[in-house]
Amino acid sequence: MARLEDLPPATAQRLRDLECPTFAATPFVAGPPLARRKVAVVTSAALHPRGDSPFRPGSAEVRLLPATLGAGDLVMSHVSINYDRGGFQRDLDTVYPLRRLADMASAGTIGGLAETHYSVMGSTDPKAMEETADRIAGQCRQEAVDAALLVPV
Amino acid sequence: MLESRGLPTVVVALIRLHAEKICPPRALAVAFQLGRPLGEPDDAAFQTRVLTAALGLLERTDGPVILADHAEEAPGRLDDPSWSPPPHAADPAAGPFAGAFAREVAELGPAWQAHRLRSGRTTIGLLPGGPATWPRFLAAFEAGDVPASPAPPMPPVLALKFFADDLRAFYGEAALGAGARPSSRQVDEWYWRGTAAGALVNACRRACLANADKSLHPIAENLLVPAPFRV
Repeated sequence: MARLEDLPPATAQRLRDLECPTFAATPFVAGPPLARRKVAVVTSAALHPRGDSPFRPGSAEVRLLPATLGAGDLVMSHVSINYDRGGFQRDLDTVYPLRRLADMASAGTIGGLAETHYSVMGSTDPKAMEETADRIAGQCRQEAVDAALLVPV
Repeated sequence: MLESRGLPTVVVALIRLHAEKICPPRALAVAFQLGRPLGEPDDAAFQTRVLTAALGLLERTDGPVILADHAEEAPGRLDDPSWSPPPHAADPAAGPFAGAFAREVAELGPAWQAHRLRSGRTTIGLLPGGPATWPRFLAAFEAGDVPASPAPPMPPVLALKFFADDLRAFYGEAALGAGARPSSRQVDEWYWRGTAAGALVNACRRACLANADKSLHPIAENLLVPAPFRV
């Protein structure tokens, strides 16, 4: 699969026409300089450790991914077949950039990396994910995270 | 949703139009392939530039809605003219395909192992059992039966979807072998039009759609074979 303009016309049009959620409020939370921020990743690639049950289509759950998970431990059970998985197969950081962020923490560009990261199913209606958002925000508060990097596929 | 709970966020936006509609607090629009939010595999410098641009938006104060563009393109989306598929026998012109598929998996084993050794990982393993378990399960679907689920209570047809994802990953990894870099277009063309596996998954899809059990139809219709490769 490829970029939107390279997709089959019907698939690309469906994505262009996709009804997206809108929000009445526009919160904008300030924080410390980037070099002092602790960053967590939220991936919507439906990643989880091998051996755990796959995400079901339409799932609104979140799976907590400890930062200590090895690259070889993760598999992807996203429902969609309309995007490239070759990048994920070659290099996990193409989708879930924990090694890159660890490098940036070592270089002092960011303050650090969270102990826990988060995986959800990207095609699920966000209206069903209020509890999931509560859980992610709650865990981030516990770990004093002050930046969430949202990475779709 | 997270920002309203007090957590500063930034999103890497693969579809700029969606970011324009949703208006998240901070978004970096990238012109990469869907499925590659960091753009370029095996290129740490490229990925770090994407992350630096995205996380840099956290330091801006001109919100509440910031949408920035990342101008750099990812060259890996282009075909590699030197790439050729790993060796395997030609797929049969007509089904059933399960027997040829089993032989093909064995033939591609060395290329898949070469990738596994080089990268230190594999992305297959959504369901219990490895490649040795795939032929019998898919052969049953190809023959019009519905085999027992390998992971109850998961429905067999959903297990078929995950097995199809797993074997597509196996072939994708075999295509990489000891370090090749084909484009995803090249791998898709080979897999869906040039292998017994692609023919077999298509045959399973057709068999499910012909089955009187309509509960099989939604997954078979939409989640087994990308639209350009349905036959």
